[in-house]
Amino acid sequence: MKPRAIVAIVVALMVLGFGSAAFAQTDCKALVPASPWGPNDQTGATNRITPAVTKAAAAEIKDGKVIVMSYPLVDGVPLFGTRFTKTILTAVSLAPGAAFGENQLTYMEDTWLSQSHVGTHLDGLGHIGRKDCYFNQIAMGKFINQNNMTKLGLEHLKSFATRGVLVDMVKVYQAANKFKGNAACKKPCLEKGTVITAADIQAGLKMYNVTLREGDIIAIHTGWGDLFEQFPAQNAVYNSGAPGIGKDAAKWLISQKVVAVGSDTWVVEVIPGEDPKEAFIVHNMLITDNGIHIIENVRTDLMAAEAASTGRSTFFFSMTVPKAVGLTGNFIAIEGIR
Amino acid sequence: MKQPAPASSPWGRRRSRLRRWAAGLGVLGLLTAGPAPVEAQRRYVVAFANLTEEPGVTVEGTGFTGREIRESFTLAARAHPVEMVFYDNQRDDARAVANAEAGIARKVDLYIQYHRGAANAVVAEKLKAAGIPLLALNYPIPGAPVYTADNLAAGRIAGEALAQFAGRSWRGQAMVAAVIGNLSDTIDRVPERAQGVAEALAQRLPAVRVATLDTKGNPVQIAPLLGKFLAGQPRAKLLLAATDDATALAVKATVEAAGRAQDTAIVSHGVDRSIHGGINDRKEIDPTNRGSIVIGSVAFYLDRYGYDVLPLAMRMLRREAVPPRVATRHTLITAANVFIEYPPYDMN
Repeated sequence: MKPRAIVAIVVALMVLGFGSAAFAQTDCKALVPASPWGPNDQTGATNRITPAVTKAAAAEIKDGKVIVMSYPLVDGVPLFGTRFTKTILTAVSLAPGAAFGENQLTYMEDTWLSQSHVGTHLDGLGHIGRKDCYFNQIAMGKFINQNNMTKLGLEHLKSFATRGVLVDMVKVYQAANKFKGNAACKKPCLEKGTVITAADIQAGLKMYNVTLREGDIIAIHTGWGDLFEQFPAQNAVYNSGAPGIGKDAAKWLISQKVVAVGSDTWVVEVIPGEDPKEAFIVHNMLITDNGIHIIENVRTDLMAAEAASTGRSTFFFSMTVPKAVGLTGNFIAIEGIR
Repeated sequence: MKQPAPASSPWGRRRSRLRRWAAGLGVLGLLTAGPAPVEAQRRYVVAFANLTEEPGVTVEGTGFTGREIRESFTLAARAHPVEMVFYDNQRDDARAVANAEAGIARKVDLYIQYHRGAANAVVAEKLKAAGIPLLALNYPIPGAPVYTADNLAAGRIAGEALAQFAGRSWRGQAMVAAVIGNLSDTIDRVPERAQGVAEALAQRLPAVRVATLDTKGNPVQIAPLLGKFLAGQPRAKLLLAATDDATALAVKATVEAAGRAQDTAIVSHGVDRSIHGGINDRKEIDPTNRGSIVIGSVAFYLDRYGYDVLPLAMRMLRREAVPPRVATRHTLITAANVFIEYPPYDMN
């Protein structure tokens, strides 16, 4: 064999060797459970929202009252880390002489520079993984490009038209005489770091005589959202932590086969977490392992007040998630209809 | 010794029936009691008397404050059936004794004492008389188990890290080493850190001389002390162990100003928030800053004391044996593992 050929073979072997090391995939079957809806499933828990579930949820609409459950999306609200949102108005046709035709038509439109996980928003199935392993054992490294994901995008989700159940943790903690508030909240709120347990959620359900059903979406009112409403004055406090569900509560909610868990915090789970060496572990449990969505910055105070005044904490959960191809999540608007 | 009545006697038969009833009730109790034993459901009151909570005052020769230690107990207590009661010893003997008396009056179930001074013996005596178990933090108290930082072990980890770096990067080149910091701080056992560094370097790099640069607690001294040292070593590679993170950052600034950053590797002690941060902080030890000459810092985890100490307290409360001394598991934190050891979770 000629020396040049030997060199070529050696170089080829080195390239192959380094290449396989650089693109080594994690064994996702060891890290993430399989979806109960099959190996090709990219839909996750919204598979549970069947026509029967939606029809049953429609029975919650008794007088047509609509309760807003999302915050206004506007510059200055608290955002995670380097996330940003910025709107720019285009209004050139308002300039003198710029109107169109005899009817003097003018128009305006916006440029919206924003990341998707801002304001009241849904965490999709491609948002959270373990290493490169995401929901349904998908080795996501093979399914991403510089623009989006080619698996687990929001376009695969089914409808969220189901029953919503509000759990008022402020009331639960007050009733149990273990309420510890935060002075920055104008209305009662649980202190950051408060671990909401399965027993707490069960107590909150019992308070309104509700039993969770498969396909429900649960909205947990902690009062922490009061700090969001005070933006930007309390952004730093809002961002510094949160009351939220712990692992025990997450495990129980998974067993109840809910579709999504929302709360009036930026994270839904408790921060600081129960174990300082675990990072957002409830996100892993709900999204990565079970395809259950997390909805953050849900405005829960109005529904909590409605529930308290009527003695009913259930509602029709109306939320449209855009079919945004390959996105990991998106800001959304929620209305609770009663 | 009194003999039991025979089962055949009327009294014996009655007792036998009573026993069967009791056994039946016991079985019923087991069936209905649920999985948690009664003892596990008991809530305890645990007192923690902190060294000091003076704002901004750091402890143990690190950048951590007493407030961070107290908060770690608050957070760790969430996982245990305990109610925490906090006292501030204010580094004052009289205050420490008064706090212990308050704890006794409150009938706490266990007392964790973080104090250095003659009051510890008095506190121990009073708690013993009241039947309240005592757990010491960082400063041993006779008769009580102690949880403590291990400064010598931490220093060895730092020295080992420097030696490994030297072996990887500067093999065969002239090298000198120095330990810099408040080396006079015997109260916080900082000299033990220096000793650990020197021991590890002597073992791994016996030809390398280890100098000591004592700032005597005055950070302003870092630049002149180090400047003189650098001037005396114009061509040598520099292995520098800082005894705390603030010193490490000042050392880095000094070697950069002297144009010697390329010749320097720094390892620190503490891993406080001045050197690592949240997802948006971009601190010195950060996954996006892997080329830093601060190659790591040895974690002291004072901000996690509660997570280590409360499990010991729980064992004592359950009357289980605990070792007389439990030391912090010090770890070298680098850009490669900082987000594993300290996951960033705050949004700011």
